Amino acid sequence: MTPEEVGARLVAALPDAAAGVSGGGAYARATVDVPPAAWATAAATARDDTDLRCDFFDWLSAVDELAEGFTMVAHVWSTALRHGVLLRTRVPREGAQVPTLVPVYPGAAWHERETHEMFGIGFAGHADLKPLLLPPEFEGHPLRKEFVLAARVAKAWPGAKEPGESHESTGRRQPMRPPGVPDPNQWGPNAGLA
Amino acid sequence: MTTPGYATERETTEGKVFTVTGGDWDEVVSGVDYGHDERIVVNMGPQHPSTHGVLRLVLELEGETVTEARLVVGYLHTGIEKNLEFRNWVQGSTFVTRMDYLAPIFNETAYSLAVEKLLGIEDQVTERATTIRVLMMELNRISSHLVWLATTGMELGAISMMLYGFREREYVLEIFEMITGLRMNHAYVRPGGVAQDVPDEAIVKIREFLAMMPKKLKEYEDLLSGQPIWQERTKDVAVLDVTGCVALGITGPVLRSAGLAWDLRKTMPYCGYETYDFEVPTAQTGDVWGRYEVRMAEIRESMKIVEQCLERLRPGPIMVADRKIAWPAQLAIGVDGMGNSLEHVAKIMGQSMESLIHHFKLVTEGFRVPPGQVYVGIEAPRGELGVHAVSDGGTRPYRVHYREPSFINLQSLPAMAEGGLIADVIAGGASLDPVMGGCDR
Repeated sequence: MTPEEVGARLVAALPDAAAGVSGGGAYARATVDVPPAAWATAAATARDDTDLRCDFFDWLSAVDELAEGFTMVAHVWSTALRHGVLLRTRVPREGAQVPTLVPVYPGAAWHERETHEMFGIGFAGHADLKPLLLPPEFEGHPLRKEFVLAARVAKAWPGAKEPGESHESTGRRQPMRPPGVPDPNQWGPNAGLA
Repeated sequence: MTTPGYATERETTEGKVFTVTGGDWDEVVSGVDYGHDERIVVNMGPQHPSTHGVLRLVLELEGETVTEARLVVGYLHTGIEKNLEFRNWVQGSTFVTRMDYLAPIFNETAYSLAVEKLLGIEDQVTERATTIRVLMMELNRISSHLVWLATTGMELGAISMMLYGFREREYVLEIFEMITGLRMNHAYVRPGGVAQDVPDEAIVKIREFLAMMPKKLKEYEDLLSGQPIWQERTKDVAVLDVTGCVALGITGPVLRSAGLAWDLRKTMPYCGYETYDFEVPTAQTGDVWGRYEVRMAEIRESMKIVEQCLERLRPGPIMVADRKIAWPAQLAIGVDGMGNSLEHVAKIMGQSMESLIHHFKLVTEGFRVPPGQVYVGIEAPRGELGVHAVSDGGTRPYRVHYREPSFINLQSLPAMAEGGLIADVIAGGASLDPVMGGCDR
């Protein structure tokens, strides 16, 4: 089946779903957007539908869409029919939660733990959402856009970034900040001082 | 005053004095019921010779039988996915190559393919660049499988296998050094092509390697296949059938050892793999022995592909022609690795101001990638390596997620280990070939 047919087939079986095709020309995948409540149902349909038979769970992750919340993405694949589908759903930033996929695909367990710690997204029904890659005492959700990559702020580049910086200059120019380092007036120990 | 369970203590002018008697040993011993409760919890790792890097296993044992295995990962988490969001698209190659450090070329190729698809230039990538990518990937697959053979041999008691495996892998690393300037972490495959052309000396060396390997492979098999200890430790050990593999998302040699000929090079070809002549080796046993057989056969298939690549290499460009993407650089391998050749720097400096500005902007700021979302999966030595890349139209990735085979395959270790012997945990874990740098990213 072409990606369009795969998408159409899944959308026909689900209410409120919308199909599309991802980028990539000849390698495009069907994308199916569903409401968060239908997340697990969509996965179960993709697995059980006789024309789709997506028995192979590939991966699951999320994308931070800032004010629009988070996009959950899961890729499932049919080993017999050789087509895949990218399932997507959009959850709000506050109290982000989707039903767990573990009862449908046991392989989703670690992906959901990773997504939970990295984005702070809840998975209702997941038995054991403790941190996987991060240490237990870690605070925050690193892959959220508001999480500052602190290493870049805390440890300055050892060399000179500006002309004349190596000498004791008065620094009339605004110092150059690499991407990801916020304004020191806005974030960090000196916030609000200047 | 004495706290129950602790040594007797009394206050003196110098401070607290404890009287340690240790006389409760008889009580401790009598409290243990040897006849009925043999349950112990053993912590294996994170620093342990058979945990492949820093993997920690918490095993609950009943005698020598594993009743529960829990994995603790994340010791090598370096936040690569987060870091990528703060560098431009080309700089990303430098990060992703450090994930699975035994298969760096695969990380780079998957990333580059994803970026090229977002840019819509996958048809512009030159034939020579694609052939070089396939050549490098297959050499890398051989070197990765050799490390698997070496480390697994060591863990199961065949120390000489460890020495032989690393010896031959060194040969591949020398080829890589000749071509890319580095033994590991090459950042060689870049969006748009490859960074550097293959020198003629490297072709000679690859041919030498291909001529040498069949004899070496036979040597390994003579050493291992007939040996009773190797057979005892691998046959019917850590069995996982196709249903179990598919449910947990297991790919690569582990899935193929269970009998499903699932190889993305065949099932969803990329980089022109459909035009190469090779087989997908499988086994029916689903045990460690099957994974050993599959990997040995895969080394031979990879050598076939490398041979075909050498025949196909025709002179030509190795980077896309689009000057908005390709660096206007002439990289050369010097004593300290890869960099711009001095003549080329002089040439650029002597050219127009505009081209110098263009070069500067392209290197520091990078090119813009149209908004979109792609998923690209390739067949790495450990299984399906996938890149889900999202662009918001800027010069830096908005989000890059790696589907790492080590991460996903490790999930199946409890399924393989529970109910078996503790010694088989070692064999089972080794047969997954996990690389923690890839698992933790």
